[in-house]
Amino acid sequence: MSELHHRQNYLGVGGWVWAGKYKLERYLYILHRVTGLGILFFMLFHFTVTTIFRVQGEAVWSGAIGLLENPWLKVGEYLVAVAFVYHALNGLRLFLQELGIGLGKPRPPVYPYSDSIRRKRPWTYVLIVVIVLLAVMFFYDFIAGGW
Amino acid sequence: MRNTYLQLIHMVTGVFIAILLGIHMVIMHLDAILGFFGVQITHVTSWDSMMGRARQGLWVGIYIPLLALALYHGLNGLRNVLIEVIPSATGKRVMTWILIIVGIVFLVLGIYAPVVLLSA
Repeated sequence: MSELHHRQNYLGVGGWVWAGKYKLERYLYILHRVTGLGILFFMLFHFTVTTIFRVQGEAVWSGAIGLLENPWLKVGEYLVAVAFVYHALNGLRLFLQELGIGLGKPRPPVYPYSDSIRRKRPWTYVLIVVIVLLAVMFFYDFIAGGW
Repeated sequence: MRNTYLQLIHMVTGVFIAILLGIHMVIMHLDAILGFFGVQITHVTSWDSMMGRARQGLWVGIYIPLLALALYHGLNGLRNVLIEVIPSATGKRVMTWILIIVGIVFLVLGIYAPVVLLSA
């Protein structure tokens, strides 16, 4: 019962997406988490192919790589690449933010209140543009047939 | 306090992964763009190309640390998520040990394969 009382405001996974009006950074955080989970599950699959399958020789390796010729898996591979670009760059933003780099000097809480994250939001927009440009660059290589 | 250190390691491993995995992604997926700059890499997933890299100590020296960093970062990230959705302390402890075991299994496999292939 005490456990139930303790978690009475618990929103579960639904709370990731909506618990009132979230700001931009909160949605970036949710996307960071979703891309992280996607990359992790791909990574465990990738490690299986590059270890267990790879040591069994050329035929098994070529068979496993041949499966990746499926167009749907190709699209999935591109999405993992874009997820990596997003997760890495947003992660670097969080890393710098955690260390207080680029947030400016603290200000007294005088009305109308503003916080350093929102004052520095233009840099977040720049980051989003860089992520989109890199996603386009990967897409160019994807359709150029190198994957 | 322990979680603070786990989180600090999570952030630091993230920076190193961004660099090492960035190298991996460029080599494996941006061959058309690398070709534009005069670097010719083709059929990176073919057996011959893969074995060419597997026999070079430099690549093994990049991939094994990357594997260890990625396993820690990924599984600790999953733990951070699961801590939110698992209510009981026992459940959290069991989940943490399962992730540690999964990490050790993949780490052993991930070290074994490149070391075997290095001299293949």
